[in-house]
Amino acid sequence: MTLMQAVLLAVVLAPGAVFSLFSILWLLGWNAPERALTRVTAIVYSLATIAVAWLAWSLHASGGATIAVSLGDWFTVHDYHFPLVLLGDRLSLPFLALTVVLVGLIGQFSATYLHRDPGFARFYILLHLFAFGAMLIFSAGSFDLVIAGWEMVGLTSVLLISFFHYRPGPVESALRVFIVYRACDIGLITAAFVMHHLTHSSSFANGMPHLTDGDATIVGLLLLLSAAGKSAQVPFSGWLPRAMEGPTPSSAIFYGAISVHAGAYLLLRAQPILMESPIAAAAVVVIGLITAVQGSMIGRTCADAKTSLAYASLAQVGVVFIEIGFGLTWIPVMHILGHAMVRTLQFLRAPSMLHDYHQVHAAAGGHLEKTGKHLESAIPQGLQLWLYRMAIDRGHLDTILERVIVQPLVQVSLFLARLDRMGLPSAPAKAIKPAAMQSVTAPNEGVIDG
Amino acid sequence: MADLSFPLISAAIGIPALAAAAAFGSDQRARIAGVIGSAGSALCALECLREVQAGGGARLAEPWSLGLFTADPLNATFLVLYSLLTLGILILAPRRDTSAKITGATLLVLASTLAAYGAGNLLVLAAAWILSALPFILGPFTGTWRPRAGLSASCIAIIGALGIIASAAHDGGATHPFSLAELQGHNFGGSAAFALLIIAIVCRKGIFPAHAWIEDAAEAGPILPVCLFINGHLGAFLLARVVIPEFPLSAQGAFPILSDLALFTALYAAVRAVAESKARRILALLVLSQSACILAGLESATQEGITGALVHCMVVAVATTGLFSVLRLMEVRFGRSFTSDHYLGLSEYTPRLAVFFVVCGLALVGLPGTLGFCSEDLLIHGTLVSHPQIGLLLPLATAMNAVSLFRLFSKMFLGTQKTGIHGISDAIPRERWVLAAIALFIVAAGVVPSAALSLRRNAAQALNGPMAPHSTTVAGNR
Repeated sequence: MTLMQAVLLAVVLAPGAVFSLFSILWLLGWNAPERALTRVTAIVYSLATIAVAWLAWSLHASGGATIAVSLGDWFTVHDYHFPLVLLGDRLSLPFLALTVVLVGLIGQFSATYLHRDPGFARFYILLHLFAFGAMLIFSAGSFDLVIAGWEMVGLTSVLLISFFHYRPGPVESALRVFIVYRACDIGLITAAFVMHHLTHSSSFANGMPHLTDGDATIVGLLLLLSAAGKSAQVPFSGWLPRAMEGPTPSSAIFYGAISVHAGAYLLLRAQPILMESPIAAAAVVVIGLITAVQGSMIGRTCADAKTSLAYASLAQVGVVFIEIGFGLTWIPVMHILGHAMVRTLQFLRAPSMLHDYHQVHAAAGGHLEKTGKHLESAIPQGLQLWLYRMAIDRGHLDTILERVIVQPLVQVSLFLARLDRMGLPSAPAKAIKPAAMQSVTAPNEGVIDG
Repeated sequence: MADLSFPLISAAIGIPALAAAAAFGSDQRARIAGVIGSAGSALCALECLREVQAGGGARLAEPWSLGLFTADPLNATFLVLYSLLTLGILILAPRRDTSAKITGATLLVLASTLAAYGAGNLLVLAAAWILSALPFILGPFTGTWRPRAGLSASCIAIIGALGIIASAAHDGGATHPFSLAELQGHNFGGSAAFALLIIAIVCRKGIFPAHAWIEDAAEAGPILPVCLFINGHLGAFLLARVVIPEFPLSAQGAFPILSDLALFTALYAAVRAVAESKARRILALLVLSQSACILAGLESATQEGITGALVHCMVVAVATTGLFSVLRLMEVRFGRSFTSDHYLGLSEYTPRLAVFFVVCGLALVGLPGTLGFCSEDLLIHGTLVSHPQIGLLLPLATAMNAVSLFRLFSKMFLGTQKTGIHGISDAIPRERWVLAAIALFIVAAGVVPSAALSLRRNAAQALNGPMAPHSTTVAGNR
């Protein structure tokens, strides 16, 4: 193994190692002090940043295209192999750099932002798990390995949305996000299987395999389903504002920077497949266009800063999708990098947005011009009202999904429950002899068995 | 056939049986007797597994048992796993769940299930099948009528199949009409025996339409013994041990239909769980759904699917034991049966129990880093090869199970902040060590799955052999 390969491997594994260390120590009963968590985070991601920068420079200096680290097969059953291959190339290294830089910054920001919060340790543990998942996505050399990182990112996203778990709102939002993630992940899982079936490989370490038009359409659309869910594109954009329930640092890095662009990265990686299928490429463009327009409109009607930023983020990712659909590669990469940085800054500044506004307002002499008047003058009044109602209801997407999918599914489930309970007496569930909790207000002595 | 060095299987069965007798005598000594009995059984099973591995995966007969008990790669792992699960449950069970009667009956279930695993003789297997179900039919684990009916039906079906096979084998000139080795490949009893065995499997495993008894048993019965019983997976074992080797032609013809039924059951249970509110029923439906996936994998006739199914057996058994254990511990602490109607916010008092619940639940639905990811990956690939259209139900069912699990977790542990409750402790040491062992196994085996896969590889190859003319494999990465 060369030095470059070893460094790439170390960079990818480092967040996972930190996560494992702190989570095991916590399970064994040791609550890490804040200082230990922040210092370890700072050291790890500082070193990782230097390492990724060195990798990029080394790759450029050597004139090579790819750093590939093959760790053999994770597991093998007969003819089926799950290869562990990490890639560092001109597509993945920028994203790896973005991840380590932003996670390090968020770690530093959160040291103050979440100081003395009861969930401080939990936040950092989940942050490291998220970073590990993101590193896996961006350095994976096969769709199977992408799935592993994809699931980790999704899980940590959901757990951080429900960070303030003593309120039902964040928990309900987390459940909604989890539902969308799991539904869309079926696309990625199925795409990986189809690749195995068609090409005997889901690996792209040696370049994306060539597919026929029809096969490329199937795989492309499946990957688009998964990417659209992760990147909150239409019709799955309803979860993004709900995700703002989480702490601001996690909103910044997940929905301003890394997680929301993971879908775009997946499409960039699979771009050779998309370009072989005009249908799939057109679908990417159409979805991106609709999302960009819808996100722009809805963002104008949001009453809170983070939701407004979320829709702005979503709109920009829609534009990125359009760029990818048209076959551009480096423009979307630069777009993503710039957008991630700016949006992260905006999210981190969101709690101070009102203060900033008042400063700007005062600096402008107490008079700020309203924006968008030229658009309003071009659109008829009736259409404005219709668009406003649609924007307030966030594109009616939640309503449509609720009526078309959720309610029928629940009704079917209830019907099956009635079928299953046929022949049973309608007695209430047997109560267990009470041990501790009788009332939420009355103090009780806990009784522990054993 | 080579011999084991010692009658290890008989010892693995006899020790818990003796411990059951000791446990019935005294409530105070019941847990100790149970732990000693299951630990002794586990040690014998581990030695049995070691000898099987050392023998290169060949079938070993138990000395002096006249062929009644044999050990091979298929059953040796089940022997170890089941003994250890019982040991874990008896250690962490709350005091009220370790009375003499409950502990004794649990040990009886252990002994009879191990007898079924180790049986080299169809008569012994059938007797063990019936004996393991008796505590749930006659007591002390009885609940509503449906578990009794479902299990009774499975017992009657296996007795019927036994009779037909024995008669046909005798007419066919078999010298030992109950010997599994001698029955192999002969199709004795034909379609009638095959159908009765399938009925026994369907009723025992809870395949649609015989699924409802599992929910009832979980809701009304003592949850830990029910969990142990369900995780014996004797239905899947009967399929692997008897149906596939003895009726290869019938199996090839019927398995596409049975596999479709199993996949339908997986989806059915997943949809049922969506609007279910009772925690015990939700977990029972998740077990039902994932157990059906095991059957679908075994019936996929692909090396990947069969291996995935055998590994998934382990995952489902360990993960659901963890889930049911945490649920029971929470019920005892807070004095209620849980529903998902309201947020309870209990993680404030039991954060580690909440984490164990999450780890076990995510392993069940295939989170990367757990053994469930590897088994689900193999299951999905194997099933999609054999059933390209309907195989998509498997990832769909798994996704819905994940949502139901997260819904249950969030309702129980998150969503509100309780005040005024004192004296509730998180996992006490004996609970923590068992749950930590479960979590460690799930994660360690998930990070390094080769060990778990190698345990199941020989068994999967042996099962795939009889199905070979129609078997396919998924060509992996090159």
